[in-house]
Amino acid sequence: MEGLIAFSNWLEHTPVSVAVNARGWFVPAIQVVHIMAIAAVVMAALLINLRAAGLIERERSLALVTASWLPVLFGAIAVLAASGFLLIASEPGRALFRTVFWVKLVLVGAALLATWAQRAVGEARPRALHMALAVAALAGWALVIFAGRWIAYADGWPGAPA
Amino acid sequence: MSIEDLANWLSETPLAYALTDSTWLFGTVEAMHVLALTLVFGSIALVDLRLVGLVEPGRDPRQLLRQWLPFTWAGFALAAATGTTMIFANPSGYFTNFFLQGKLVLLLLAGLNMIAFHFIASPRLTVPGALAPRISGAVSLTLWTTIIVFGRWIGFTI
Repeated sequence: MEGLIAFSNWLEHTPVSVAVNARGWFVPAIQVVHIMAIAAVVMAALLINLRAAGLIERERSLALVTASWLPVLFGAIAVLAASGFLLIASEPGRALFRTVFWVKLVLVGAALLATWAQRAVGEARPRALHMALAVAALAGWALVIFAGRWIAYADGWPGAPA
Repeated sequence: MSIEDLANWLSETPLAYALTDSTWLFGTVEAMHVLALTLVFGSIALVDLRLVGLVEPGRDPRQLLRQWLPFTWAGFALAAATGTTMIFANPSGYFTNFFLQGKLVLLLLAGLNMIAFHFIASPRLTVPGALAPRISGAVSLTLWTTIIVFGRWIGFTI
């Protein structure tokens, strides 16, 4: 944890951290961008996974839907990473020393992998495999949202900076 | 009964006590609200961006509407239920909050825009170059983005 404390202390005194806290409305404005990017992730994930499961967009091929929406998904994840970094910079102790934040990052990786796998698996595979991936991916994205909101309410690790 | 009496009565209900006594319940309801609003905003934005002409220009907007309207309504039902639940945690604080009052007005305007869409823009969806669907989409995008902004500001001013 020492390395993480050093990183948190360093981040807290960077110009980025100072800039994000310069005005009271910066943090909620960044959160609005973060929420709208989550909406883009949810839509892209719904389109890819429900199409793979054969529930929507049946008149278009899975390859076409993934070609349209995987870039949207990755673009939105990039916006989330950037806005998330700024939110952490505004108050490094808040997220870094809470287990639920690290659980959220693992869940993002898993949900991203499951969604991307819909293309990798390809259309010829049994529908049951697409269904299972869709359930895992969409449950994963929903849990990411819950974990994200719980960061504000979870207890920090013992000995972590306040 | 005044708004103040209503707020006092709401704050004495079992739901109000459950929300204020628990450390995780309010955050969980909030998380459900976020999940719901991503469905509402995401599905509406997709249709609006098509109406404005920025995504899937070759696509029949009526087919997009048919596909996404159930997601919009399911998300809206969950958002309304969880939003109402959160008010129980601090009724007088929310009732007097400018951003909550403003958000309710904006939701009303979004509803009126939807009615206007149904009667004015919807019949012109297949008319090439029609202006009404574009205006309707732009108004809707602006309103729903502002609703998200107001919603986030409630949390910082309550």
